[in-house]
Amino acid sequence: MSRPRLGATGNMSKQNLPDRNQVIREQKEGRGRKVLGVLPIHYPKELLTAMDVLAVEIWGPPGAPRSAQVGRLQSYVCAVARNALAFVAGGGADLVDGFLYPHTCDSIQGLATQIPDFGGAAGKAALRYRSPKGKARPSLRRYLREELARLAREIEALTGRALDPERLRWSLGLHHRIDSVRAELLDGRARFGGSDAELYGILRRGECLWPEDHLSELERVAERLEPGPVQKGTPLLVSGIVPEPMEIFDRLADAGAYVAGDDYAAIGRRVVREAPDLEGDPLDALAARMLAAPPCSTRSSDLGERLAHLDWLRERGGCAGVVLHTVKFCEPELFDVSGIRSHLASRGLPLLVVEGELESELSGQVVTRLEAFVEMVAAARGNP
Amino acid sequence: MITRRAQYEAVRRVVGPFLAELQAWQRRYKRLRRRGGKPKESPFGPPLESVGPLKDLMTRHYLEGRYADGAVPVAWVTSGFPVELLRALGYHTLYPENHAALCGVQRLTPEYSDRAERDGYSRCLCSYARTDIGGVLLDKTPAGRLPRPDLLACCTNICQTVLYWYRCLADHFKVPLVLIDTPFVYGEAQEHDLTYVRDQLAEALTTAERVAGRSLDWDQLARVVRLAQEGSVLWGECLAESRQRPAPWTGFDGFFHIAPIVALRGTEGCNAYYRHLLDELRDRVKKGIGGVRSERFRLMWDNLPIWFNVRELSTQLAEQGFNIVVTTYTNAWAEAGRRIDPDDIFGSAASAYTNIILNEDLDRRLALMKRLAAEYQVDGALLHSDRSCKPYSIGQVDLKDRLGAELGIKALLLEADHNDPRAYSSEQGATRLQAFMEGFQ
Ligand code: SF4
Ligand code: SF4
Repeated sequence: MSRPRLGATGNMSKQNLPDRNQVIREQKEGRGRKVLGVLPIHYPKELLTAMDVLAVEIWGPPGAPRSAQVGRLQSYVCAVARNALAFVAGGGADLVDGFLYPHTCDSIQGLATQIPDFGGAAGKAALRYRSPKGKARPSLRRYLREELARLAREIEALTGRALDPERLRWSLGLHHRIDSVRAELLDGRARFGGSDAELYGILRRGECLWPEDHLSELERVAERLEPGPVQKGTPLLVSGIVPEPMEIFDRLADAGAYVAGDDYAAIGRRVVREAPDLEGDPLDALAARMLAAPPCSTRSSDLGERLAHLDWLRERGGCAGVVLHTVKFCEPELFDVSGIRSHLASRGLPLLVVEGELESELSGQVVTRLEAFVEMVAAARGNP
Repeated sequence: MITRRAQYEAVRRVVGPFLAELQAWQRRYKRLRRRGGKPKESPFGPPLESVGPLKDLMTRHYLEGRYADGAVPVAWVTSGFPVELLRALGYHTLYPENHAALCGVQRLTPEYSDRAERDGYSRCLCSYARTDIGGVLLDKTPAGRLPRPDLLACCTNICQTVLYWYRCLADHFKVPLVLIDTPFVYGEAQEHDLTYVRDQLAEALTTAERVAGRSLDWDQLARVVRLAQEGSVLWGECLAESRQRPAPWTGFDGFFHIAPIVALRGTEGCNAYYRHLLDELRDRVKKGIGGVRSERFRLMWDNLPIWFNVRELSTQLAEQGFNIVVTTYTNAWAEAGRRIDPDDIFGSAASAYTNIILNEDLDRRLALMKRLAAEYQVDGALLHSDRSCKPYSIGQVDLKDRLGAELGIKALLLEADHNDPRAYSSEQGATRLQAFMEGFQ
């Protein structure tokens, strides 16, 4: 039986996503870099880049779990965590040198001990990033810096090379440029003639490409932005965890809508707009950059801040409705639904909540709901 | 404010004690009337006398709560929060988890959860949170009335879920939320983890003082910490009596008798109660009285109880001579006490509240379960796979296999939910349990 491959991930490959195994081989053999499989969502990628480590993100992969190891997690755990366990413990990511587990939620935190302690990634390094929770406060800022320094020491042990502060400054600058172009593309969505599926395919290539390569691609795409709006459909704001299946964009487009505002945890919530301070201590700058990211339920940001951020996205994109596309059993995101719902209702804005399980394609029922929603929003703005 | 305070003090000092005395008198009267009558056939040993005082203690606590807001500062607190700080500042504390369990026992969760679900809270979320939020939205409680919080106090040492839940409460009540975020422990907690927790304790204190409108009396805090430490040790001693054969009570009893160490930790009332319970348990051991009438097999329980199904489950087990003699859940409140040091309050609190079973890696959890299995001489283990509680349930499939392979004991994974009966099939559960028990015969 052939091993599941990182690149063979259903819809994602349809969206021109790279063959991950090929990327890994090129980076390891051609560039001598170490590779970490990284579980969702937020992590200090700048540190990995600075230390010549390629991050390959593991979002599932979507579709049916890739091995019988999935039975080690109960069916009421989200598909992102279950598929990841099946994939990693089933040997699907054997090419990587280790795994990085950010403490995103109770489920990934659980995997961060279950896989290394009880088997599934033998011989692979297990690195953890224990992200602090709640509002930025003095204690959190101090801890975050220390935790980043601790993680840097773990990476040093993996690579055998010390962290060079200059290289970290360079990496902070690089990732800031990447985020600036991502922001330009997301903000200028109405001026981009391509489809959402194409745009998200390009943005998601960053999940496994070496960052400099990703930046070149992004810059080429940004050159295609028109001076004025070219999108004619119904503008929507989409929030949630991860755009899987990516078919959702095709279905929205078929119904006459496009994504004018993005708040996916995997996409927009990772775009930091503030420029880093490259003069002082680069670890301080990295910590500050992480805290400057948009509000996210998985970081337990203040609900009020999240709602204000959604308002900002919505107004900037002229969004006439909101789709909350989340994952079943995702506690961080699902706790926010009620607050988002009443907030949008108080502003007379329609909301559609779609819960998925990382299926390889949308169910007929979800497609019908999306179509009906877009029709309703379009009718309300006099744009049938 | 003055009238409210007078009402609160009257309830605390006069009405509460009077009701407790009245209930004690009623219990004595009932016992006298029962004497001479034929005892009912039961697979359990004689009921614990301490159940009465336990009910009195908790009834008084909830009764005082009805009059607390407006009289004293009120905090809603997670079970793992370092409550000593709030206690020393004169807060009345309410534990939504404990209250939700009370609702769970009375099978109120479906009604309360429905209300929360109508507001957009998914049924996939923790049923404690749904019960609590639904109760708040319905303005209903089996305790008569819950005091409105002035402060919310949350600690992530049991799960991150509590923080999502308390963010919603903070938004609803428009009151400050203080957070103690405890980094997850692999092996041993690191220095910067403990510094972070200590720093947060200081930050939480500043907010709690501001809300209470008074400064902390450090001597009072030392007294409360000593009481909390003593309470935790006493609770541990009560649990340890089950190392005897037969165990003088059942793990299911323990699920109910845990309420004071959760909700009243750091008070003399809590400790007095556990001294009373300990005396009774020791007396039962001396007399050879068991929690179940004929104890043949001893089991360990992992995870929260199935609150709405405790009676059915415990009866099914007891009828065939099975007793739950130790649970990882009730044991957690005994472990913390060992680390508390009244001479280094913040430092030891940081360590005690960070090193909690649900905040530690699975290797440590397995080691703990193996130690408990040996100390309590268990023959098997029941692992409640709790749909609502991801942090407790992730890893259980492997834990079950390892307990079997490394200790040679039989273990069963029982799929249920701690509070929501809609997520549990009692027939299926009973059938699986029956098959499990047959494996011992
Ligand atoms: S989908 Fe939600 S619960 Fe699942 S891993 Fe992601 S953040 Fe955690
Ligand atoms: S039951 Fe589990 S998820 Fe719910 S509050 Fe308790 S520890 Fe957290």
